[in-house]
Amino acid sequence: MWQKITSSEKGRGILLISPPFIYALVLMAFPLAAIFLFSFWTQDFMDVDTTFTLNNYREIVEKPIYGALLQRSLYVSACVTLVTVLLAFPVAYFVSFHVRPERKSLWLFLITIPFWTSYLIRVFLWKVILGFNGVINTGLINIGLIDEPLTFILYNVNAVIITLAHAFAPFAILPIFVALEKIDRSLLEASQDLGESKFMTFFRVTLPLAMPGVVAAVLIVFIPTIGDYVTPELMGGAGGKLIANMIQTQFLALNNAPLGAALAIVAMVCVTAISLVFVLLNRRWLKGRS
Amino acid sequence: MTALITLEGVNKHYGDYHALRDIDLTINEGEFFSLLGPSGCGKTTLLRTIAGFESVSSGLVAIGGKDMAGVPANLRPTNMVFQSYAIFPHLTVAENVAFGLRKRGDLNKAAKQTLVEDALDMVGLDGYGKRAAHALSGGQRQRVALARALILKPKVLLLDEPLSALDKKMREQMQVELMRLQRHVGITFILVTHDQEEALVMSDRIAVMFEGRIGQLADAETLYRRPRNRQVAEFIGKMNFLHADVQAVRDAIDLEVQGLGRLQITAEQSPELRDTGPAVVGIRPETLGILFDGETTDRKLVDGVVDEVVYYGDMTYYDVRIQGVEAPLNIAMKNMIGRPVLDVGAATKVIWDERALVLLK
Repeated sequence: MWQKITSSEKGRGILLISPPFIYALVLMAFPLAAIFLFSFWTQDFMDVDTTFTLNNYREIVEKPIYGALLQRSLYVSACVTLVTVLLAFPVAYFVSFHVRPERKSLWLFLITIPFWTSYLIRVFLWKVILGFNGVINTGLINIGLIDEPLTFILYNVNAVIITLAHAFAPFAILPIFVALEKIDRSLLEASQDLGESKFMTFFRVTLPLAMPGVVAAVLIVFIPTIGDYVTPELMGGAGGKLIANMIQTQFLALNNAPLGAALAIVAMVCVTAISLVFVLLNRRWLKGRS
Repeated sequence: MTALITLEGVNKHYGDYHALRDIDLTINEGEFFSLLGPSGCGKTTLLRTIAGFESVSSGLVAIGGKDMAGVPANLRPTNMVFQSYAIFPHLTVAENVAFGLRKRGDLNKAAKQTLVEDALDMVGLDGYGKRAAHALSGGQRQRVALARALILKPKVLLLDEPLSALDKKMREQMQVELMRLQRHVGITFILVTHDQEEALVMSDRIAVMFEGRIGQLADAETLYRRPRNRQVAEFIGKMNFLHADVQAVRDAIDLEVQGLGRLQITAEQSPELRDTGPAVVGIRPETLGILFDGETTDRKLVDGVVDEVVYYGDMTYYDVRIQGVEAPLNIAMKNMIGRPVLDVGAATKVIWDERALVLLK
């Protein structure tokens, strides 16, 4: 039997993918299925009532708070994505086009420096920078530009956006860098040879060819920021809470796992739908190339 | 013939590396000009200097009488066919060909489309306009690259090893097509190649380059028959070299050649050398011969022994040792009726003629 499996091409293929397949099944499919199942149950004080019901989804649709939170989450994620990708592109471009080849890995290494400290510490650091008595406010007061501390930079949505944009920057830089690296430099020369300036060459050749990396960066930043709850918890104040905080509250503080599960499913469907639309809009750039 | 491109004392340094050394060159209007040389000889650098992708460290590059110093590539009247063809993978064939037409405000959309169709037609790709560029074969890519450059009607078309990525059949076909195209459009072509056959077949004139210098600049026949020095002779085709001693230089040249004895050649057979003393003579394999049984000749003969036989089908290359010469002579023989392929070790007679000798510096 064993020999039969290892001798056939198909058998060996199945054997080869089974460890990651089991891994994916246990760590991804089962938890997802459990969440999905939970979303159709109800919490009955300490027990979970396992009769099938759509009450959780009904509640999410009817109570405006959930819709508002989801909307704010999508808005924050969109802002974070826009800021991150716009700031990441010049960095990736610089490393790819203006750094000597033997120095590039050093630069990529430097870009990952923020990851050397814990995410939590980085969030607290932004608190120090943006806070009431923080670096920015004391600095501006000391040079006399403002009389009292700026309040719009901490404990609101802006603070969440700034912190998340910084946290996700390397995730955006790397895919764009890879896409830029893959561009055959003779294409840029060909464009100039055919009469285009360096400026126009960027828009007619470099940017279109870097789009797969930009699309990847957008997805890599957009998808996880929807689910982030640490930054909004610490930086968002009352007005900066997002859908993920509500999910956390439902699961832990309110002990209502089914409603939390339903919220998680709704958030996931939204992210999936938006990501798919985004990929479809950009399919022109993602076509197969040799 | 009017000069189109003039290079005077052009030097190019990359740090310590001296890529171009005092290049003086004039390329005429409507000429098919080749830069030939081994890799690293500076031929591509020279081409890129003309295109405007490399600046010169010193010297003058002028196109059409205008000094090109400080003129970027996009403002020069040159277009290039890149070695990799550099076809834009995100555009269709027609969009690739039309790439350089964006700035032509005098043309409306329909006129541009007609130009694109004409250009594709000219390179034999009519009907391919809507194809995705990444779905093309090597030969088709090259045609797109040609159409894309020629549609802009440049004064000079620069070709950087355009045939090196193609297989042998395709390469020979494209050689003929490039020549036909050049005659048709009448603009100057400058070809960079390391393939001497390619250069000999296509070019009006060839500059052979070594280590950043031009070794010899001549038409194909002169280059093949009268190479100036041993380096050029070795690079172009096969050549046998024999030590010689030049004894007298008058209207004719008297010399003693190793293995062949005393003989006399005309001054024309020595493009450079005018001094007496030790020298080297070159002789091409196809100007030597083997006297087969039943054949006669009125040329000179020398005894030899076959050392090696390489059979090519239409030709057989023999290495034949003759008395007094260390290296065997390479001889190319057509395989004609009644000529057997000789065995290694066979005693034979080598036919030679002093008119085929060239005296090298």
